[in-house]
Amino acid sequence: MTASMRPDARAKVLGQLAFGADLEAPGMLWGALVTAPAAHGHLRSVDLAPARALPGVVAVAAADLGPLLSGRSGDPERPAFPRETVTYRNQPVAAVAAPTLPLAREAAAAVRVVVEPIPAVSDVEAVFPDWPGSDLGASPHVAAHVLARRGEVDRAFREAGTVVRETYRTSSVHPVALEPHVCVAEVHDDRWTVRTSTQSPFGVREDVSSILGVPEESVVVDGAWVGGGFGGKGASFVEPYALLLSRAAGRPVRLALSYREEFLLGRTTLPAVVRMETAVTSGRIVARRVRLLLDVGTSLPGRDFATGYAIGFLLGPYRCPTFEIEGYGVRTNKPPFGPHRAPFAPQCAFVVESHLEHVAREVGVDPLAFKADHLWHDGDTTALGQRVAHFGLPTALEAARGVAEEWRRTAPAGHGVGVGLGFWSTNTPAGGEARVRLTPKELVVVQGEREIGTGSVLVGLAAVAERRTGLPRDRIRIEYADTAHAPYDAGVFGSRTVGALGSAVDQALRNLLATLAERWGGRSPVTLGWENGAIVARAGTARRPVSEFFNAAESEAGALVAEGKHYGQPGTIDESLVVAGTFYPYTDFTGAAHVAEVTVDRETGSVRVVRYAAFHDVGWVVDPLSARAQVEGGVAMGLGTALTEEALWSDDGRLLNPGLVDYRIPTLDEVPPVDVTFVEGFLGAGPFGAKGLGEPPIIPVPAAIASAVRAASGAHVTELPLAPERVARALKSR
Amino acid sequence: MRSARAVAAFDLLTPATAEEALSALRSAAPGALAVLAGGTDLLFDLDDGRLASRTVLSLRRLPWRTLAWDGAALTIGSTLPLRTLENDPGVRTRLPGLYAAVRAVGSVALRHRATLGGNLGRSAPASDLIPILLALDAEVELVGPEGARTVLVDRFVQGSRKTALRPDELIRAVRIPEARPSAYLLQRVRPFHDISHMAVAVAYSPRRESWRVALAGFPPRPILVPEAGELLRGPRPSSAEVVRAAETAAQLAPIVADKRASEEYRRALVKPLLERAVRACASSGGAT
Amino acid sequence: MTSPVLRLTVNGRPTALDSVPVAERLLDTVRWRLGLKGTKEGCRTGGCGACTLLVDGRPTLSCLTLTHEVEGSGITTVEGVSEDPVGARVQAAFEAVGAVQCGYCTPGFVMTLTGLLKERGSAEAFEELLNDLAGNLCRCTGYASIVRAVAAVREKSP
Repeated sequence: MTASMRPDARAKVLGQLAFGADLEAPGMLWGALVTAPAAHGHLRSVDLAPARALPGVVAVAAADLGPLLSGRSGDPERPAFPRETVTYRNQPVAAVAAPTLPLAREAAAAVRVVVEPIPAVSDVEAVFPDWPGSDLGASPHVAAHVLARRGEVDRAFREAGTVVRETYRTSSVHPVALEPHVCVAEVHDDRWTVRTSTQSPFGVREDVSSILGVPEESVVVDGAWVGGGFGGKGASFVEPYALLLSRAAGRPVRLALSYREEFLLGRTTLPAVVRMETAVTSGRIVARRVRLLLDVGTSLPGRDFATGYAIGFLLGPYRCPTFEIEGYGVRTNKPPFGPHRAPFAPQCAFVVESHLEHVAREVGVDPLAFKADHLWHDGDTTALGQRVAHFGLPTALEAARGVAEEWRRTAPAGHGVGVGLGFWSTNTPAGGEARVRLTPKELVVVQGEREIGTGSVLVGLAAVAERRTGLPRDRIRIEYADTAHAPYDAGVFGSRTVGALGSAVDQALRNLLATLAERWGGRSPVTLGWENGAIVARAGTARRPVSEFFNAAESEAGALVAEGKHYGQPGTIDESLVVAGTFYPYTDFTGAAHVAEVTVDRETGSVRVVRYAAFHDVGWVVDPLSARAQVEGGVAMGLGTALTEEALWSDDGRLLNPGLVDYRIPTLDEVPPVDVTFVEGFLGAGPFGAKGLGEPPIIPVPAAIASAVRAASGAHVTELPLAPERVARALKSR
Repeated sequence: MRSARAVAAFDLLTPATAEEALSALRSAAPGALAVLAGGTDLLFDLDDGRLASRTVLSLRRLPWRTLAWDGAALTIGSTLPLRTLENDPGVRTRLPGLYAAVRAVGSVALRHRATLGGNLGRSAPASDLIPILLALDAEVELVGPEGARTVLVDRFVQGSRKTALRPDELIRAVRIPEARPSAYLLQRVRPFHDISHMAVAVAYSPRRESWRVALAGFPPRPILVPEAGELLRGPRPSSAEVVRAAETAAQLAPIVADKRASEEYRRALVKPLLERAVRACASSGGAT
Repeated sequence: MTSPVLRLTVNGRPTALDSVPVAERLLDTVRWRLGLKGTKEGCRTGGCGACTLLVDGRPTLSCLTLTHEVEGSGITTVEGVSEDPVGARVQAAFEAVGAVQCGYCTPGFVMTLTGLLKERGSAEAFEELLNDLAGNLCRCTGYASIVRAVAAVREKSP
C-alpha cells in the first residue's frame, strides 16, 4: 500500500482517533442546555427546582453565577446567561448536568422558563420597508452602518449612457460540520480546564475569560481532534456552560449540542438583500452604487464584524473610479451572525458577478471581456484605496476563459457554461508563534492548533519545514500542546494557518538554522538532511551530525530549540473616502476563476452540474494533494450555497428546517468531477509566497453556477440558492 | 425545546406471535402504545421529544419478514426491510415503479431497517411508497381480534398520519395483485436522500387494459386521480392523451403549498412528471 | 425498563450486556458502553450516515436502531472491519488515495461501502454504487477523493 501524505489518514480510516465528541472523563456528568421558548421577551423566571429535584442533577442559571465565579463577573455585554431579556429563540438561559444524557435532557425539559413575549423581528426588509430610500441611522435595529464614497456619484449616474439597477437576495447558510460543538470541562480550585473541539484554543481561552471574568492564566484550553470546523468552531460556544456546570458539580461535565441545537442555536451566515446600481458609458463602468441590508441577528451594536467586513466583497475585484457603498447590519431576533467558510463572500461574489454579467449583456458586450477589462491588475488600487500586488486572478481568468470557450464548443445542446470570479484576503495579520525542537533524530514543531481536516496544520506546517530545512517530511513531526504549554496562535481560520502560523514556524526554523550556521563558524547557508540514521547539518558539500552543535544544556536535554513569531501587517484603507463606520482592510489578495457546465431541466427547474474547473492563485502550492482536496471540498460546499442550502426563518424568528432532511448539503450524487489548476508565482505573504486556500475555493461557486444556468436556459436568477422552484420561476418570468 | 411530556424511557414488548401482539394491543390504553417495525421514524420522534407512548410494541419477532411471488402477484410482509424488497430480482424487473419508489426512500442504511408496514402505518404526505402502491391497486392485510381483513391502500390511507388501522389491529402484509409496467418519478431539491415535494406514480394493467395515476408530495396524503388514468388508452398512449391526462391531473388534484414548495410550482410539475412517467412505463414494456 | 442480559456478537466476540435500557440506541451502546468510539455520532436522526455500522453484515444506522432490537445479531464496527478482507481493502483504499480530511464521516463511509460490496459484490453498476453512498454526507472532501477510493476498491476486487 502506498504511504499516504496525510499522517492522520491511517488512524482515521481505522476509527482510532479520539475527536472532541469522543472525549470523556472519570465520574463525568452529561450536560444539556435549557433554552428560551420565545424569540424575544422579558425573562420573568427560570425555575430550576424541578430539575434539581431529579437524582444527581446539577443546574445553573444567571442567578447562580455570582457564587460560582467567586464574585467575579465577565463582560456585561456578553453574559453566560441573559438576566432580563432573551433576544432569540433557543437562546440558552440555563444549563443542567446529570449522570446520564437522557436524565440531563429530562432535567432540562423540567426547568420552567417564563418569558413575557415582546414582538420579534426576523425579516430585514420587513424591519426597513422603505430601504434603500431612507436613512436608517437612528433605528435601534441598526447594529452597524458603513458608508464610503468617491467622486460625484449622482452626477456620474445622471450623465451615464446606461444605468442598470437590480436587487439580489441571499440565503442563510450553515457550516454543518458533522461533529457537533462538544467539550469536556473540569474545574478544580481555580483552574478552569476544558478539552474541546475548536478551531481556536486560544480564542476559546480569551472568550471564556471574557464571559466568565476568570483570568486567562487560570483557563486551560486543550484542543481535540476536530470533526469539521468551516468557521463554526472559531469561537467559544459550549465551553462556558460546561465550565460553570463542572464548577457547580465539582465533577467533569461533557456538554454537546444535539444536531437540532446545532441548527437552532448556531451562529452562521444570515440572509441579506443587496441593491446594485451600475452606470456604464461606452462599455466602461463609470460609477457604481451598492447598498447592503445584512441580517446580523442579535449581534450587538459595535460588535458586528460582518457588515464592514463583508461589504467590500460587493465591489468585487474590479476597478471603479466613482462609487458609493453603504451597508447596514440589521439586528433581528436570530442568533448572532457567525462565520461560515469565507463569511458572506460567496454570496457577495454571486451578486457582483451576476450583476456585472447582466450589465454587460444589457450594454451588448461579452461579459467575460467586460470583466477582464475592469479586473484589478498589479499596481491598481481597490475602490477603498488598497494597493493590489502579486495578484494572480487576471492570469487565472485567462486560463478559465480558454476552458470555458472549449467547453462551449464541445458541450451538447442544452448545456450551459458559466464563469465566476472571486477574491479573498488571507488573514495573515492574525498572528501566531511557534517553537521548533531539533533532536538528533527528528525535527519537532510545537504549536497550539489541532488539525481540523484541511491538512493545514499536519501537512502544511510540515511542508514549510521540509522546504526550509531540506529535511524529509518523515523526519518532521507536528506536535500539539494546550494553551498552557503551546506558543500563542490565533486559530485555524481565515485561510491563515499556513500563511501566518506557517510564517512563525518558518521564522523559528530560520533562527534554528542561523544558530547552526553561527556555531559552524559562520557557514551559510546551512540546511538539514537525513543521513545514516541521523539528522545532519549541511553546508555546501560538508556534513556534520547536528548533535555536534549542541551545547552542554542542549545535549542534556537532547534538543536544540528555537522560536519564531509572525504578526502580519494589516492592510490600510483610504480613510478620506469613509463617511461612516469601519471598513475591514483587506490584505494579501488572492483570487480564483471557476468554470461550470450545467444542464437545466426547463420544466422542473432542476440544475445538474456536469463538469467543473477551478483556477486558483495560490503563490506557492504547499502540498499538491492537500491543495487539490481543499479546492474539491470548497467547490462542493459552494454547490450547496449555490443550489440547495437555505435556512428558512419564519417572521417571528423560528428556524423552520433545523435538520439534515430539509437543510440540504450536497450528497455524493450532486458533485461533479472538478479539474483543479493552480496559478503559481504571484507570491503572497506566507512562507515561500504561499497564499491561503481554505476559503477561496467556495467563493466563486454560486456565481459560476448562476452564470451557467443563465447560459443553459436564459434564467436570470437573483436569489440564492438556485433551487428548482426558483429556477422554474425565473424561467417562467422570462 | 423539549416538551416535558416527552419520554426518555419506555417498556419494550417483543411478542413472538401475532396473537400475543394483538393481545398486548388490546390491553393498552389509547395512545399509550406505539408500534415499532423498523424504528426509523419512531426513533426520530423519540429524539425530537415527540414520542409520548410509555410502551413500545416491537414486531421484530413476528414471522412477517416475507416476500412471496404467486404468479404475477406479490405479497410483501409488513416487517420486511425495504432493502430486501429492493434486492429481489423480480421487483426490479417486473415492478420497475416499485423498485424506483423503494430506492427513493432515505438511504441504503435506512432501508436496511425501514419497512413497508412502517411506511404505511406512518402515512406521511411525502411517502414515496404509498403513491406507487396506489397505482398498483395494492391491498393491505390487517390482523385484529376478529381475524384478518383486506383493505385497498386507497382506503387504508386517510390523511396525514391517519389510516384505517384500528387501535387493536396490525399491518401484516401488503399485496400487489399483479406485476405491472409502472414508473415512479419525483421532484426534489436533491435527487437522492431528500423528501419529494412532488411525485407521480403510474402503472398500466395489461389485464384490465387500464392506467392508474397517483400524485404525492403534498399534504394531506398521496392520491389517485382516476380521471387522468381514464384518459390514457392501451399500453402506449398517444402524446395527445398523455397531455390531456396530465392537464386533467394538474387541474383536479387537491394540491396545496407547504414549506417545501408552492401550490403553483407543484401544479406545474404534474405535466412533466406525468409525461415522463407514462413514457418510462410504456417503454418498460409488459415485463410481467 | 431494562432487561437483564442482552447478547450480541461484537466484532466477532460474544458480548453479554447487563441493564441496557430498552430506549438505548445501538450508537450509544457501542460508543459509551463498549467504548468503540470509531462509530461517530453526527445528526442522530439518520440524515448523515456517520454512525453507520454493520448488523449481520448489513449497513445500518446505529442512531435509529434500538440495541434490544438487534439482540443476538453480529455487530461489526470500524474497529473490527479490518478483519474482513473487503473491509480491509476499503480502509486501505481510503488511506492510499487520501480520501480523508477531518475524518469524522470516514468510518461511516468505510462501513457503508464495505456492506454494499459484500451485499451486491462487483455486480452492482458503478453509478448505482455511488448513488447508494448518497446517504453518507461529507462536508470536507467534496466526495472527489471518496469516489477515487471507491474506484480503486473496485479495480482491486477479486
